[in-house]
Amino acid sequence: MALLLKTHYKLARSAIKENRTRSLLTGLGIAIGVASIILILSLMGSISNLIKEQTKEIGADLIVVRPNSSKDNITSIVEEFTAANSFQKSSLAIDDVTAIKKVKNVSAAAPIAISTNTVDSEKNNFESVPILGTNRDFIKIEPLALRYGAFLTEENEENSVVLGHTLSLALFNTVNSTVGKTVTIMGEKFMIVGVLDEVDRSINFDNVDFDNALIMDIKSLDKITGSTQIQQINVKAANTDSLETISNDIQDALINQKLGDKNFSVSYGDEITHPASNLFNIVSGMLAIVAAISLVVGGIGVMNIMLVSVAERTHEIGIRKAVGASSRNILMQFLFEALILCIFGGILGLVLGYILAFLLSVITPFAPYISWEIIAITFLTTVGIGIIFGIYPALKAATKNPIDSLKHYR
Amino acid sequence: MSENILIELQGLTKRYGYGDTESFALKDFDLTIKRGEFIMIMGPSGCGKTTLLNIIGLLDRASKGKYILNGENVASISARRQAKLRAKKIGFVFQNFNLIEDLPVIDNVALPLVYTGYSKTAQLKAASNALKRFHLNEREYYLPYQLSGGQQQRVAIARAIVGDPEIILADEPTGNLDSRASHIVMEELKAIHGEGNTIIMVTHNPSLTSYATRVINMLDGQIDTDVKTVSDANLPQPISVKIKKKKKAEEPEFVEISTQKTEKSDKKEEKTQKRKKSRRKK
Repeated sequence: MALLLKTHYKLARSAIKENRTRSLLTGLGIAIGVASIILILSLMGSISNLIKEQTKEIGADLIVVRPNSSKDNITSIVEEFTAANSFQKSSLAIDDVTAIKKVKNVSAAAPIAISTNTVDSEKNNFESVPILGTNRDFIKIEPLALRYGAFLTEENEENSVVLGHTLSLALFNTVNSTVGKTVTIMGEKFMIVGVLDEVDRSINFDNVDFDNALIMDIKSLDKITGSTQIQQINVKAANTDSLETISNDIQDALINQKLGDKNFSVSYGDEITHPASNLFNIVSGMLAIVAAISLVVGGIGVMNIMLVSVAERTHEIGIRKAVGASSRNILMQFLFEALILCIFGGILGLVLGYILAFLLSVITPFAPYISWEIIAITFLTTVGIGIIFGIYPALKAATKNPIDSLKHYR
Repeated sequence: MSENILIELQGLTKRYGYGDTESFALKDFDLTIKRGEFIMIMGPSGCGKTTLLNIIGLLDRASKGKYILNGENVASISARRQAKLRAKKIGFVFQNFNLIEDLPVIDNVALPLVYTGYSKTAQLKAASNALKRFHLNEREYYLPYQLSGGQQQRVAIARAIVGDPEIILADEPTGNLDSRASHIVMEELKAIHGEGNTIIMVTHNPSLTSYATRVINMLDGQIDTDVKTVSDANLPQPISVKIKKKKKAEEPEFVEISTQKTEKSDKKEEKTQKRKKSRRKK
């Protein structure tokens, strides 16, 4: 049997070699599909790697509370996608932060609420600046460095803001003399108490681009916008040994606080690795669908070429059957040809996908991410495509009548 | 010598079409073929000669009737085993040679061995030996179109005998050849017959009947005349079993993979040996 498989492999290889251009083009169809899958997987892998590194930097004592634990299923993602963001109500409230702070072994808890608004300095005026509403604990949890001034403190947290590096440049064309100046948001004046150092990390588990953000106390944000949506609460544990106990305690405390409402999730360690935004899930889901479609199109190309190949080699099939090939032998011969075409396309796609991922890494922070899982997925997908789209032409070849086939000439 | 009966056809009927278009390629055809016969089937076009050959060669099935091959009713043999039988017991020679144009001569000859579990080396060795017998060993890696018609037909015959089949079916093997090439091909077939193979050949050329031990004239799907020129007792027979077993130990690569090692496979080995001896003499 193994011997026969080897023969089938050799036959298929020589058949593919004979029609070099045709095989290359067919393989290319598969390669494009595989390349897009590789690109998406590599992108997702590198994003979760980035976040993993960040959480490592922040420390092993980080616990994150996020609203809507049911967000993982498809309906809620679709809901999120179709509903306008402003109408959504987060299940977390400012009071929950206070409740978490009271939990044993919690040393700090900071909410993250993002709102966009127009920020006005004397010189410039910017629409839709992301405003991060949090509290003074935030700096204890996140390793944010200040270039000038200080973070929010107990004394100044009302009416004070901290600017991101890029935002400061944009508003005042400078970073060094910004502290002490004021900005106007929704008619309220806020004093700038600090400017952050450059972070250059637009993808992170907070889903906040700190360089472009304006940070203020969540209560002030609540006052000017009327309502704040807490997208996550970062918690710092006092010790790293009992993260599980602490997160369970937080869970209990929150359920208690929210009168039994369990519409939130508490995670720590590697669980935090996916970005908070569902937009990420939606975009990668859409990309995956597009990639799957291109793979199916590639598969149809393989089927088409295999049908041509079977028709062209009808005479050969007749000869082979006459000298003793069983229908199964013929089936295997053509199935192998389709499989090898697909695997060849898969390898081409793997290379192409990583070239694209590398090119992408030049202009974005996403380093190409290679793992054996990705390669295994690629291999299995191409084999699957080969079998699905190769079986029909192979069956057609196998069921040909030898007498009629022998009469058939090119 | 009833055990010497190789093929038995009883009431074989092959019908094409239905109703008004119904026609019979074979009609209640009875024929018994003994081992070692060289049968020539003649007759006008459309009298069912090729259909008969296809049915004997397990490429086609009769609409009605019984076909007993080696004492076994073919109707009860699975399609897979029929393919195996085609590979091991039956060799085909066609009028238009039917070689695979993309494969070199040696691979064409080795084709039946691909499906019988020979190793690649054994395949090439056997194919090379078969080609040597037809003085084509210098053209092993030619492609079929680079050979003359007579050479192509000899390649086809080499392919037919490479697996040591018992039955050679030839459908007008000289139909596309000039008289000189025809003569060479017929001499080869005669030599193969002399080694104890059964040959059934369809031809239009009456001058070739001198090679046969039996000439059958067909008309409208039935036997018109049936003349035996050699008595059954004088038919060439495969040599007896004894020499065989030694051979097996010497050449393990030729041992069959199938678990059923019957006397028949032994006989085959013997033939190989005999053939080699005759080559040495040459």
